[in-house]
Amino acid sequence: MTRWTRVTMSVIFWAFVVYLFVPLVLMILMGFKDSKFIGFPIRSWTLEWYVDVFRDTEVLGVFLYSAAIALASTAISLVIGTWCAVLIGPRRFVGRAALFALVCLPAVIPGIISAIALRIYARLLEIEPGMLAIVLGHAVHNVPFVALVVLARLATLPASHVEAARDLGADEIVAFFRVTVPYLRPALIGASVFCMLLSFDDFIRSFFLGGYQPTLPVLIFAKLRSGMSPEINAISTVVLVLTAVLGLWAERSSRRLARTKPSGAA
Amino acid sequence: MNTLPGRAPMEHAVVRLEHVSKRFGDTLAVDDLDLSVPSGQFVSFLGPSGCGKSTTLRLLGGFERADRGRIVLDGEDVTDIPPNRRDVNMVFQDYALFPHLTVARNIAFGLELKGEGRAAIERRTAELLAFLELGEFGERKPDELSGGQRQRVALARALARDPKLLLLDEPLGALDARLRAQVQLELKDIHRRTGKTFVFVTHDQEEALTMSDRIVVMNEGRIEQDGTPEELYLRPASRFVASFVGETNFVEGTVRGTDGGVTTIDWHGIDVRGVARGFTPLENEPVTGALRPESVVLHAEKPPGGAFPGRIASRLFKGSRTTVSLEAGPAGGGGRLLAYLEPELAERIEEDRVWIDWRAERLSILP
Repeated sequence: MTRWTRVTMSVIFWAFVVYLFVPLVLMILMGFKDSKFIGFPIRSWTLEWYVDVFRDTEVLGVFLYSAAIALASTAISLVIGTWCAVLIGPRRFVGRAALFALVCLPAVIPGIISAIALRIYARLLEIEPGMLAIVLGHAVHNVPFVALVVLARLATLPASHVEAARDLGADEIVAFFRVTVPYLRPALIGASVFCMLLSFDDFIRSFFLGGYQPTLPVLIFAKLRSGMSPEINAISTVVLVLTAVLGLWAERSSRRLARTKPSGAA
Repeated sequence: MNTLPGRAPMEHAVVRLEHVSKRFGDTLAVDDLDLSVPSGQFVSFLGPSGCGKSTTLRLLGGFERADRGRIVLDGEDVTDIPPNRRDVNMVFQDYALFPHLTVARNIAFGLELKGEGRAAIERRTAELLAFLELGEFGERKPDELSGGQRQRVALARALARDPKLLLLDEPLGALDARLRAQVQLELKDIHRRTGKTFVFVTHDQEEALTMSDRIVVMNEGRIEQDGTPEELYLRPASRFVASFVGETNFVEGTVRGTDGGVTTIDWHGIDVRGVARGFTPLENEPVTGALRPESVVLHAEKPPGGAFPGRIASRLFKGSRTTVSLEAGPAGGGGRLLAYLEPELAERIEEDRVWIDWRAERLSILP
């Protein structure tokens, strides 16, 4: 690489970084502005909006509601996703590709279509719009992500590990829980954080499947309709910080755990 | 049945394979195998890859199910018993240590599943750690150990449940050559100290010769020969065994006659003597004789007896021995032979014209 291409490459990279972060920085800045109107110039600064957010019991309640949905839907998709991954397995068999496509389908169906379909389906099953419907909707959407991550990790599990467990007296179920599941742990941690973030972030399914109680994105959307306010910026900033911290932590810990490679003969 | 003369009778066999066959798709991996392993022996399955030795081991472990035949472990038919309910344990080729558990917990794994009490498990684990000189590594994770240490952990884990039969699937394959020689001795020593029956799979003939009480040479799913290392080496029963175990000269010719157990064959116009193994050679029958290079004896002057003249085509000095290529016939040009000579003897034979001889029983005549 010549000096010039290197310089050009790094300029492009930094331009991209700026493009990525300017909107976020603007959003964060506006949350500290001592005025109802969003825009420059900022004459005086305040923490008032944050005080409002933390005092607002509605926001807090909605936050917890969203978090509960994220946890519940993640738990369901973790179980079903792992089960799908084990079913598909790393080994080839007739119909494996079809099964794989079927498991991945919920991830690629456009959100609005899946939201409408889920709404109709929930109606059919006589599930009231509300928490249960949202949890089930999110779980369906997240299963493919769990399945893909677990499948990738499963492919690196040497067959001999499960065989060794069987050899030492474990039946298939004991071998699965005592050898396969611990081996999958980094994948399970990574997948569950990703699922929680997906669920927490989801607007369209929550909007269609929700009842009177809004989730956080739905609440923000509702507040926007009555006009943009720096309070929204403050809420968004808090969410941004929390999710970024969670995401980075998960990234780091699952990467560290993934290093627990099968220590074979070497 | 392939029991050895003078060894434990079949009733005392730890494990017996009766007409066992296993097919994978189009290939017959194990073909009507009949074998019994007497208690306390170190038995090796030796053969090239794809010969069925690993499949046989996996059949014994319960990881594959026989298509036909029976496997009898200590008098009990275990043909359809899954691995977790067989009194057999295995040391895997990649050791298959559980990466999330410490060394001690790896060893305790099988004991926990047996439902033994905490105190008993701790006692047995400590015993095994000490037995395999792993005392200080109990709390380490497998990826913090060297290859040789991991191999010992795998061994300890497999021995923990006190199996009737210990299976070892090429456990030295991943070690480097120097470590391997040391681990071979260790393994032999562990076999002696436990008194257990070891079934060892390898494709390395030298390893099999060094370690085994008995070697089962396999090829294409069948047993080629089953005997002690010495029997295999000195009296190979087939061309395959002769070529797979050690270096061999093949002497191909037609039978001239047999007298008092010694058969004379016509080899490129020269009469050479050998002993037929397991068949009666007919006159004019084409046969192959197997002759180890170290069995060839060279003389500078014509000795009494059946020696024939030859010529040294090349000499390679290898330190502990000299490898000599020979051509039979007074001026060479006849059949070729390889001979290992003591370097001093080779030095003494200055002339390239020599007399070639061997003891008749060192040439195994095969059908």
